[in-house]
Amino acid sequence: MVKCSFCEREAVYINRVNGKAYCRKHFLEYFDRKVRRTIRKYKMFGRKEHIIVAVSGGKDSLSLLHYLVKLSKRVPGWKITALLIDEGIRGYRDITIKDFLRVAEELGVDYKIAGFKEYIGYSLDEIVLMGKKRGLPYLPCSYCGVFRRYLLNKVARELGGTVLATAHNLDDVIQTYVMNIINNSWDKIIRLAPVSGPIDHPKFVKRVKPFYEILEKETTLYSIINGLYPKFVECPYAPFNIRWSIRRMINELEEKYPGTKYSLLRSLLSIIDLLKNNPKLNIGEIKTCRICGEPSAHEICRACIYRIELGIIELPDELREIAEKLRIRIPEKP
Amino acid sequence: MITIRLVDGSKKWSIPRDRGRIRELLNNIGLLSEEYIIIRNSKVVTPEDEAVDGDEIILYPVVSGG
Ligand SMILES: [Zn+2]
Ligand SMILES: [Zn+2]
Repeated sequence: MVKCSFCEREAVYINRVNGKAYCRKHFLEYFDRKVRRTIRKYKMFGRKEHIIVAVSGGKDSLSLLHYLVKLSKRVPGWKITALLIDEGIRGYRDITIKDFLRVAEELGVDYKIAGFKEYIGYSLDEIVLMGKKRGLPYLPCSYCGVFRRYLLNKVARELGGTVLATAHNLDDVIQTYVMNIINNSWDKIIRLAPVSGPIDHPKFVKRVKPFYEILEKETTLYSIINGLYPKFVECPYAPFNIRWSIRRMINELEEKYPGTKYSLLRSLLSIIDLLKNNPKLNIGEIKTCRICGEPSAHEICRACIYRIELGIIELPDELREIAEKLRIRIPEKP
Repeated sequence: MITIRLVDGSKKWSIPRDRGRIRELLNNIGLLSEEYIIIRNSKVVTPEDEAVDGDEIILYPVVSGG
């Protein structure tokens, strides 16, 4: 039996970097200290905040919601609202929504479910079929990612949120980091900061990652201890891509050389700092979408580009020139 | 005999051994202890704990979306 390094109880977790073992009680204290330190270090929240927690129904986001609701009881100026985006994926979202509702009700937290159907006009299942019919070259995850991000920001703002918290953990962040190194996408690496986004746009809600320094193993254990670990349902669109190999590779390294993950995170923070003000990296100013008014990298935002290409909205004639420059696949008028 | 299974029941192994450190038992069947939370006889344990004949180990995958 492995004993806790701080008391006589049985250990449930070993931190192989500092060599300490933790019982259930001391693990929860360690977890709490670590998340609070992350929040403080990167100045994620102020004294008065309406925190919108982006919840997918997976273990990490349920853990984040659970953690922040508990923490908010000690901070009088905080209000928490959970936000779940319902993409409309049959056999997946309808099941995971139940885990979410159970946890939200147990915690007594306000929540909002925003559906693709309601905001975009069609469910993801429908959008995927429409895209296929029109011969668009996008994967389901491209539509999903773009519309999800779009709605998270828009709905968080409409709810009166001052900050949007997502459940990305250390593992997620460093996997994306390695993927972007391979793809030579340094502009995307900058977006992996613990506090991110074009903060100087009036319609942009600041984004934070309170689990930035927390291992996926630790968020999982937190979810199991607190009865949050959901029944596993895989998204039918989940791609088998390079991320799986990178994850396995990093986990193999971590098993052989404990501390590898933290080293990668430090490497990421250094490179973000080096790239931040580098004129060679043309990040460009944040614009406002001429169609929907949301913050955007171009004059027409990615979500509106997809909507035009899918035939959900029509391209206004005065934007035709811009659309051609952005190489939007403009459907022919009937 | 030590039995190991994934929590969703999708995989199961029976290991004909009297005892062993869990990390090594997992490595022997091609799994990384880094990727699972380990439940031995209904209690969370660490990969450095031992399993003995008759123990049932359930693995909760750490990897899966947010
Ligand atoms: Zn203890
Ligand atoms: Zn737009």
